[in-house]
Amino acid sequence: MPKKARRSEAATISPEPHFLKPGKYYLQGNQACIEGALMAGCCVYAGYPITPAVETMEYASKRFPQVGGRFIQMEDEIASACALIGSSWGGVKAMTATSGPGFSLMQEAISIAIMSETPMVIIDIQRAGPGQGYITASQQDIMQARWGHHGDGPIIALAPSSVQEMFDLTIEAFNLSERWRTPVLVMVEETVGHMWESLIVPSRDEIEVIERKKPQDLGIMPQDYLPWGHDIVAPMANWGEGYNVNFVALVHLEDGNISRYSPQANYHCVERLQNKIEGNVNQIARIETKFLEGCKHIIVCYGAVSRTAMEAIIDAREMSGLELGYVRLVTLWPFPEEKLREIIGDVDTIFVPEMNLGMMKHPITEALRDRCRKVVSIPSLGILHSPEYILSKIYEEIS
Amino acid sequence: MNRLWIDERYCKGCLICLDVCPTKALKPSQEINAKGYILPTSNDMKRCTGCGLCELMCPDFAIAIEKAEG
Amino acid sequence: MKRHPMLKYLKEEGPMGPRMPLIFCPGCGSGQVLNYTLHAVDEIIGEDKIRKEQFLFISGIGCSGRITSHYLNFDSAWTIHGRALAVATGALLANPAFKIIVFTGDGDTGSIGGNHFIHACRRNIDVTILCLNNGLYGMTGGQHAPTTPIGTITTTTPYRNREAAFDLCKLAEIAGASYVARWTTAHPRQVIKSIMKGIRKKGTAFIEILSQCPVHERMLPVALLKRFKESTIRISKTEESRHGKTPIGEFCDVDRKEWNESYQEIIDQFLAVNGKAHEQIVD
Repeated sequence: MPKKARRSEAATISPEPHFLKPGKYYLQGNQACIEGALMAGCCVYAGYPITPAVETMEYASKRFPQVGGRFIQMEDEIASACALIGSSWGGVKAMTATSGPGFSLMQEAISIAIMSETPMVIIDIQRAGPGQGYITASQQDIMQARWGHHGDGPIIALAPSSVQEMFDLTIEAFNLSERWRTPVLVMVEETVGHMWESLIVPSRDEIEVIERKKPQDLGIMPQDYLPWGHDIVAPMANWGEGYNVNFVALVHLEDGNISRYSPQANYHCVERLQNKIEGNVNQIARIETKFLEGCKHIIVCYGAVSRTAMEAIIDAREMSGLELGYVRLVTLWPFPEEKLREIIGDVDTIFVPEMNLGMMKHPITEALRDRCRKVVSIPSLGILHSPEYILSKIYEEIS
Repeated sequence: MNRLWIDERYCKGCLICLDVCPTKALKPSQEINAKGYILPTSNDMKRCTGCGLCELMCPDFAIAIEKAEG
Repeated sequence: MKRHPMLKYLKEEGPMGPRMPLIFCPGCGSGQVLNYTLHAVDEIIGEDKIRKEQFLFISGIGCSGRITSHYLNFDSAWTIHGRALAVATGALLANPAFKIIVFTGDGDTGSIGGNHFIHACRRNIDVTILCLNNGLYGMTGGQHAPTTPIGTITTTTPYRNREAAFDLCKLAEIAGASYVARWTTAHPRQVIKSIMKGIRKKGTAFIEILSQCPVHERMLPVALLKRFKESTIRISKTEESRHGKTPIGEFCDVDRKEWNESYQEIIDQFLAVNGKAHEQIVD
């Protein structure tokens, strides 16, 4: 056993000037997330091509080696997600991007990552489903994001709505995953993935980057180390650091011991995971609001739809004097129920425009059932709602 | 004379050690351990050459040969 | 009291209770392979300039998977059925200095992880794969595996197996592994030598070890070990003189560029043009 706690020899990203200099760039959403990931210190990209996420992968294959990171095209999405687990425990930040069918294949590894508390980031550039569906935009994977993996287990999922947010929220995704030691999903629509927009890149010193808590920093020696203990978010020793960590995704005690199975141990293990994320929902989840003051009707939306929803709200105010409130879920999961209840008092109707047949409508209804008369879903499949379409559905309902 | 050590907690009585011993220095014991396994015991340790094959082929890390000094 | 020399590499006790004895059934080949592997690793640590912390043991699920389930006093990973090599690939991307040993079963390698297996060999990633081939699925109760011989009765081939079996060594060789060997648990010294060769080999080393399952084959461990000796023959013997016996020995030993070595060339090329990289991409 080493006398002194040792740091691993894991690959590290080489410093500037390989990163984007501060300034304004014109980039695609699928590419902006890679620049965000590099800024957050991501060293490994392992993926498998699938439309509409290919640009992310192609861009990663160019950019990762430039900064000293490594890119690999794996044999399938299952392998890609599993490689992230290996990289993360090997001591670096790792990511992949995929879409619907590939996201389904990754569920196994996501579940394993939740149980083993592995930080990693998966970007799902959602295409329409079910089945092969079509390669156009959708928000149809958001329930799969929360419930798709086998077994109980919480997840963090973010929903960017612009190229800028593809950059910003990818950094936030890495920070959340390192801070809470859990896989984080970035749920994007093909709309935002393929969107070209300007991106403002700040200097690296202005970007907050969070690193995982290490037992070395807390003075915990290998013989006393509990890989899943010490705190609600356990400090993480990586492989190669002399801590003799055994990665395990079976029901385990805090030291990774699996030999004493009991229903109590099972409950304790899974409940702790649940509490870690759901119990800290107010720290993790973010929502954005506008025009809420005195509104009888509000729109709750997320992702690309929030852009046309905002336009619909402004149009309604200007043209017919109808005052609509705006709530955007920046974080989809854990679901910010308390925060929503804080800001939404008694209203008449809550409209939920979504590029699916009404998925987020369910948790929203559950949270705000007693705060409104009705929750109305405005679905759209295969195409982003136009502001006119959203407004026509709203007028239909309230007239 | 070499000495035989059997870890009773780990041995599962597969008796591979008996079979691989080139000089037949081991034999099955008359007693069974707490888990119901028949453990190996010394047949004639004078025959033991200390080749270590029993240690090497034990699936349970339960056997050890302490070599005689000199 | 003297104890087994390899116990120094095992966690007998953890902070939250005992971890041993091993979970395997009496006379299981998995424990033997672990024993041989630790002997090989012990020699490597003694002879080469490789630190104990560099070793990383990864396994999938199944009986072979349980080897790393929590006994090893090394960094280790007990991952998902078939995915051990994908996790190993990821670990090597993070830290090419790892000396990775992957324990896998025949179902792990040939069936659910077949894709990961052939692609690990194709990429020639720097791992040593130890495939414990018992010709069936032991952990789940003796179902047939892609290595089960034709005509065998198992719990899922009650009317005898009609599918041909994989030759995993040939598969590894054709897929591009640098080192391929086959032994049985009845050949401890040869297995140890091969494992040491595999660890020292830069690239994929695939070592298939025919391993007994006394429970599902309903035979005594010693009888199975005897059968291994009788039913195998050295690869050096000509096809005609083998009399249908399973060839054992070294199938291939070549030097081919390892994945990380090769990728490092790309990285180095960019480090050389320091500072100009991003301008080429974003203009």
